Amino acid sequence: MELFAQFLANGLVSGTFYALSALGLTLVFGLMRLVNFAHGDLYMVGGLLGWAATSQLGLGFFSALALVVLMLAAAGWLVDRFCISRLRDQGEEPGILFTIGLSIFLANTALLVVGSTPHQVPAPVPNEPLLLGPVVVTKARLFAVAVCAAAITLAHLMIQKTRLGKAMRATFQDPLAARLAGINTERIYASTFALGAALAGTAGMLLGSIYVAQATIGGLVSLKAFVVVILGGMGSFAGAILGGLLLGVAESLWGGYVSTGTVDIIGFLLVILILLVRPYGLFSRRAERA
Amino acid sequence: MRAITTTTAVWVTALMAALPTAALAQKEPVRIGVIQPLTGSVAYNGTSDVNGSRLAVEERNRKGGVLGRMVELVIEDGQCKPANSVNAAEKLIQKDKVTVISGAFCSSSTMAVMPVVEKNRIPLVTGVSSMAGLTERGNRWFFRATETDALLAQSFAKILVNNLKLKTIAYIGVNDDWGRGGVSEFSKQIEALGGKTVLKEYFDHGTTDFYTLLTRLRANQPDGIFVAAETQDGSLLVKQLKELGVQSKVFGVGSWATNDFVKLAGAAAEGIYAAVPYAATMDTPRNRGFVSVYQSKHSEFPGKYAAAGYNAINIIMDAIERAGSTDAEKIRDALAKTDYEGPNGHFRFDPKGQAYGFTVVLVQLKAGVPQVVSSTTVETH
Repeated sequence: MELFAQFLANGLVSGTFYALSALGLTLVFGLMRLVNFAHGDLYMVGGLLGWAATSQLGLGFFSALALVVLMLAAAGWLVDRFCISRLRDQGEEPGILFTIGLSIFLANTALLVVGSTPHQVPAPVPNEPLLLGPVVVTKARLFAVAVCAAAITLAHLMIQKTRLGKAMRATFQDPLAARLAGINTERIYASTFALGAALAGTAGMLLGSIYVAQATIGGLVSLKAFVVVILGGMGSFAGAILGGLLLGVAESLWGGYVSTGTVDIIGFLLVILILLVRPYGLFSRRAERA
Repeated sequence: MRAITTTTAVWVTALMAALPTAALAQKEPVRIGVIQPLTGSVAYNGTSDVNGSRLAVEERNRKGGVLGRMVELVIEDGQCKPANSVNAAEKLIQKDKVTVISGAFCSSSTMAVMPVVEKNRIPLVTGVSSMAGLTERGNRWFFRATETDALLAQSFAKILVNNLKLKTIAYIGVNDDWGRGGVSEFSKQIEALGGKTVLKEYFDHGTTDFYTLLTRLRANQPDGIFVAAETQDGSLLVKQLKELGVQSKVFGVGSWATNDFVKLAGAAAEGIYAAVPYAATMDTPRNRGFVSVYQSKHSEFPGKYAAAGYNAINIIMDAIERAGSTDAEKIRDALAKTDYEGPNGHFRFDPKGQAYGFTVVLVQLKAGVPQVVSSTTVETH
C-alpha cells in the first residue's frame, strides 16, 4: 500500500509535467489545424534559454522565466507571420513539412551554439526530500507542480475570459464567420502559435530545473506530447490535462508492478486502445467544430 | 518551401563547420574515418570521443604527420543507430576513401559496421564498444582498444564484494546491449563470490524520471546499487536516489568520473564508486601530458571517451606509420602488432583483436574529484 501511494504520487507529478508539455501542442492543433512537430524543440529552446538566463546572465528564476516566455512568444509570433501564414489554407502537408524542418533547424542550431552537453536550470527552492506520510517528494517537485498548475490555469483563463481568448475560440469554431464578425484571424493565428511556443518554453525551463535541458531532447518530448494529445483528443484543453495525468499514472504503475524497461509500451498501448474505442480522444471537441 | 531551403542551407553549413579544417599539405592527406554519435541521447559522449581523436591528430600533424603526409579525420554522425552507422561507413569507404575507420560507439552499431569493413577490407578500431561478443566473431579487420564488460567485471567483482562488503545488490542498466551486458556480467561475477541479487531493472536512454524504479529499489534495501548508465541518465538517477533518501553504496560503469557528471549530479555525486578504464587523475607521465593539453583546449578534464578517441586514433596512426604505406592489408598486420603506451597504460592486441595490458581503475568521487581507490591491469583470459 505504501508502495502504491508512492507510485501514484510519482505518476501524478510526472503526469502534471506531461500535461504542461502537451498543452501548447494541443492548442496549436485545435486552433490552427497545424500539427507542430517542432513542439519538443521549442520546449528544448525554452530549457536552454532558461539555463543561459539563470546560470550565465545571473537572473533570478522568475525573471528568467518571464524572459523565456517573452522570447518564445515573440519567436512564435514571428515564425507564424513570416512562415506559417504563407502555408495557410494549403492543406496539411506543407505545415507538417515546415514544422519538421523547423524542428531539425532548432535542434541543430542548439547543437551548434550550446553543444550536446546537458545543462541544469538552478531550481529556486531546495531539492530536499519532503515526507508526506509514507510518500517522498521533493520541494523542487512540489514547486514545479504548483507552477505547472498556475501556468495551466493562466492559459485556461486567458482562453475563456479575455477578448483575445474569445476571438481564438471563435476562429477555432469557424474562421470564415470569425472574419465576417470583424476578427483579424491572422493576428489570432499568430497569437495562438506564440501562446503555444510560450507554453512549450515554460515547460522546458521548469522541467530543466527538475531534469536537464539538452539540445537533443526535443524528439522524445514531442513523442510523449503526441501520446498525451491523442489520448485527450486533438485540440482539447481538458483532454491534454487528463491525458497527461493518465499517461503519468499508467507509466508509473506499469513501471512499478511490471517492469521499468518496457514502460514506453504503455503509452502506445493506451493510444491504440483509445483509437479503437474513442478515435477522437477522451475529450474531443469535434462536435463543436461543425 | 522557402523555409525548407533555408533549413537545408543551415544544415550544410553546420555540417561543414563540424568537419575539421583540412590540413594544408602538398601531398594528399591520409584520411581516417570516424563514426560517432553526434546527435541523439549519447551525443555528448560521442563528441568527447571526437575531441580526443582530433587532439591525437593535431599532435601528430605538428610532428609531421604519418608517412610524411598530414592526417585528416573525416567525421560522420552514426547516431548510435546501426542503420545510420552502416550508411556512414559506406560513405567513408566509397566516397572519402578513408584508410582506416574508428567507431562506432554503441556495440550494436559497431556490430553492424563490422561486416561492411570486412567486405571492403578496411581495418576498424573501436575505443568504446564493450560488448564481449564483438571480438568473438572471427572478423580479422576488427580491433578493440578498450575493456569488455566481462573483463571489467572480472577485474572488480572481488574488490566490490571483499573491500566494500556488499552482500545484497540491486542492478540497474540502460536498456541496450551495453547496459544489459554490464548488468549480466557484473551480476554473474558478483554472485559467484556470494553477493545476492535483489533487483534487476532496465530503463530507456533519455529517461528523465526514475522515481518509480527507485521506489521499487528502496523497498528492497540493497547494500549496493550497480548502475550501467551514461552521463545524462546516470546523473539524474543518482540525484533522484538521494532525493528519495536511499543510503546504499552506488557503483557503476559508464562515463561517471567526468566533470559534467559531477556538475549535473551536484552533491549527490559524493562518494560514488565508478569502475572506469580511464580517470583524469591516473598518475602516469603520459596521462599528465594528455590531461594538460586537453584541459588547455577544452577547459575541462578529459573523460573516459576523450581518452578512448585519443587512444584509438593514436593506435591507428602508429599502425599506418609502421605499415609504411596506406595498404589496408599491411595496416591490418601492423595493428595486430600494436605496442602503444597510452595515458591509461600499455595496449597490445591478442589474436582476436582484443586489447590487453592496459590499466582499469576503481575511483570514488570525493569533492567532485575522482580519486583512484584501486587499479588493476587487464589481462586476456
